[in-house]
Amino acid sequence: MSTAANSLRSCKKETAVEMAEVCSIHLGDGLYGLPISHILEIVGDTKPETVPLAPAFVGGLVHYRGDVLTTVNARQLLGMPPLEGKVPDLLVVESANGCFGLIVDSVREVLTVSQEDFEPNPSTIHERSKAFFAGTYKLKDRLMVMLDPARIDPLELARAN
Amino acid sequence: MDELTREFLIESQEGLDRMERCLTELESRPDDTALLADIFRSVHTIKGTTGFLGFKRLEKLAHAGENLLGLLRDGKLVAKPHIITGLLELLDGLRSILSNIEADGGEVDVEDAELIARLEELQEPDEEPQPEELSAALTSTQVQNPLLMAMAQEQKQAVVQKKATAEAVARPRPVPQAAPASGSEPAKGAAAVTTATSAAESTLRVDVALLNRMMNLVGELVLTRNQVLQATAADSKMTLLTRRLDMVTADLRESVMKARMQPVSNIFSKMPRIVRDVSQLLGRKVRLEMNGQETELDKSLLEAIKDPLTHAVRNSLDHGIEPPEVRVAAGKNAEGTLKLRAGQQGSHVIVEVSDDGAGISAEKVRKKAIERGLITLEAAAQLPDRELLNLIFLPGFSTATAVTSVSGRGVGMDVVKTNVEKIGGEVEIESRLGKGTTLRLRIPLTLAIIPALIVRSLDKSFAVPQGALSELVHLSTEQAVEAIEWIENAPLYRLRGQLLPLVFLDRMLMADTRGQSREVGDIFVAVLDADGRRYGLVVDGLADPEEIVVKPLSHVLKDIGLYSGATVLGNGDLALILDPGAIAARAGVAMRAEEQIKMGDAVVEAEEAQGNEYLLVEVAGRRAAVRLADVLRIEQVSASRVEYIGVRPVLHFDGQLLAVEDAGGILAEARGEMQVIVVVCREAGRQIGVAVSHVLDVAAGSDLIEAGTAQAASGVTLLKDRVTGIVDLGSVSMLPLPEAASEACVENAQ
Repeated sequence: MSTAANSLRSCKKETAVEMAEVCSIHLGDGLYGLPISHILEIVGDTKPETVPLAPAFVGGLVHYRGDVLTTVNARQLLGMPPLEGKVPDLLVVESANGCFGLIVDSVREVLTVSQEDFEPNPSTIHERSKAFFAGTYKLKDRLMVMLDPARIDPLELARAN
Repeated sequence: MDELTREFLIESQEGLDRMERCLTELESRPDDTALLADIFRSVHTIKGTTGFLGFKRLEKLAHAGENLLGLLRDGKLVAKPHIITGLLELLDGLRSILSNIEADGGEVDVEDAELIARLEELQEPDEEPQPEELSAALTSTQVQNPLLMAMAQEQKQAVVQKKATAEAVARPRPVPQAAPASGSEPAKGAAAVTTATSAAESTLRVDVALLNRMMNLVGELVLTRNQVLQATAADSKMTLLTRRLDMVTADLRESVMKARMQPVSNIFSKMPRIVRDVSQLLGRKVRLEMNGQETELDKSLLEAIKDPLTHAVRNSLDHGIEPPEVRVAAGKNAEGTLKLRAGQQGSHVIVEVSDDGAGISAEKVRKKAIERGLITLEAAAQLPDRELLNLIFLPGFSTATAVTSVSGRGVGMDVVKTNVEKIGGEVEIESRLGKGTTLRLRIPLTLAIIPALIVRSLDKSFAVPQGALSELVHLSTEQAVEAIEWIENAPLYRLRGQLLPLVFLDRMLMADTRGQSREVGDIFVAVLDADGRRYGLVVDGLADPEEIVVKPLSHVLKDIGLYSGATVLGNGDLALILDPGAIAARAGVAMRAEEQIKMGDAVVEAEEAQGNEYLLVEVAGRRAAVRLADVLRIEQVSASRVEYIGVRPVLHFDGQLLAVEDAGGILAEARGEMQVIVVVCREAGRQIGVAVSHVLDVAAGSDLIEAGTAQAASGVTLLKDRVTGIVDLGSVSMLPLPEAASEACVENAQ
């Protein structure tokens, strides 16, 4: 659990200056967030190349600036049905093990949020999902669930499996 | 460490490397003032800079050396062997101080009094050491002195060895050894030195990481270019611009790749010194010949083969070349020859170490392998000699009767093999008892770019490294039903009479293995040979072979165990690179029984697939050979498909006309639906078919020297111990046929 604690701390560190910048992400009906400091680039319109026999959470391979990135399918991770009728967006995320891609329904605006609105994971959410969440920001009209970049890294996911 | 010191270190090391090369050359040309001046300059530069940086110990030693070199340069002293030995000691002394500085940022505070005194002693004219004294010292090589004591362990060992050689050279009758190069080399060497100094000013040191990054970005640019080309294909206004972009990109890519290349001479140049030291230590007389130093190789690969090559050279000197008296007794020249050769062959660089020594006795290898328990008695008895030799690559094998300091501890050849294989290379050994041994390293040109066959399966593209591919077989739906046979659930195909296990790529890559039918459609079988596992990979389609840029995969995907990387194809698609060995292992394809023991035979086979190889065919009862490099494919067609232009048989494939050479009259005799075999060959930009009765085998041919001349006889080769004629494709006349030629053809056929 030390990685979770670490990433939580790193997340807090960013919010320690009162405000933090978070990239908002849409997945199904939910609003999620990733700290902007972990995002290298937002790439629209990509079609990841599937990899036969890969673990289920792997969304395929994408070509990014001369490298081949492994992507994580966020919908699969959160137990949602596959996206239909839209080309998903791709986030290039930086983690301790290098870069990986995160496939999400769509990427929305970057929000500036206050640390005061942050709360750790409520104890009642599903254990499985809790592992990927770093906490929640209470926005004016809805909640934004923070994804923990260190825990959705493909290498970590493979270890957890 | 500050920037200035680091730069000084790099510069000094380069200077010392040059000094080392010059010193070994100096031995053969002691009067060459240009060489002496060059050595002097190296030491002088070190002395000058070191005083500025405040490395007192280094300065003192360099100063002592400079004095001696000054006398030599001015012709007041002659560079006799014992002086050169002294200078080599100086070189080692300077090197060890430099490495101290590199490690700790400063000098270790000890005096080099002994070495300095020695260098001063050497300045006395005609100071010849007493023979008795020195031969006494030779017996106890563990000479101790304060300098050695202070040094780090490995350096200490190295210097002790140098010490020993120093004594060896001053024995009563010192023999000049290790002439660095063959005939034309000295003049060339001198010229190279002068150009090298001026070249140094126009070069720049670049971080390798930066070059890697550039390589990556250029790859990216190539892809973007491809997309631009596709997107603007219809726009005539863009044509000129895109064409220009295309050219510039290609040039840029080539330049960046070139920037990573370094000449093999970077490691070859270390060899004269090693040969000199080791041969003196062992009492061998050896002449070193080097060829192809200008051959270039990717820097990382060059680094990787440095140790294996050094090892191979030491091995040759220790186990290969015999002591002078043994050589004379065997009727050979007392002086042995060690040849280092490098050259490019297709997408590989071949580096060869060959000696004219005793060769490896297959019988000895057999005995030793049994003794060491590396192979059973029965298995050993069945192995042919050539395969026995490969046993020396097994860990823990050594044929040397005595353990020497040079080699013979049973580590070595296996390390050579593993190191070379680690970078995707191959090792092959050839040896003839009493004649000598050749060790051949086959290194891919770059790690990053490999030729690959692109196959289609599951509506996806996959890359198969061409190195593992031996042939391709196309089976139409009807043919496939007939040709694929089953034993329980294992599909098999008869390839020239031998059963070849098949692996269906699509089935292997589907997680759900239930309900898979045996139905097959139009398929291609890629016959692969991976680490001695031979099998046919069944795919749905083929695309053109490409040179692919290998991109590493993340651990998660590497752990699947079937892919060795990924690549971006010319059309911008991503493709996974298949690992033929892993697929074989997953599918349960075993190494052939004999191959489990004969280790490394796969290397030889793969080797055979590319080098001086011939396709052995039978034409109307006679054997003939076609150069394998010329063979494109082998077609089996029914005789009714053969048509004639005049008397000349032709075949047509998809709108292409193929002239068929029928010297054996096979087509003339074939009737109706009889199947005939046509070997389709490439010859000077066109394709020619050669009608044959049977395809017998693929084998390595060796040149035959025409009696009384030193030239290889043309048109024939020694194949499987029989003299075999090579089909001369060049003589097949062009289409359309001029009158005269067609008449000639009739004569040919008769």
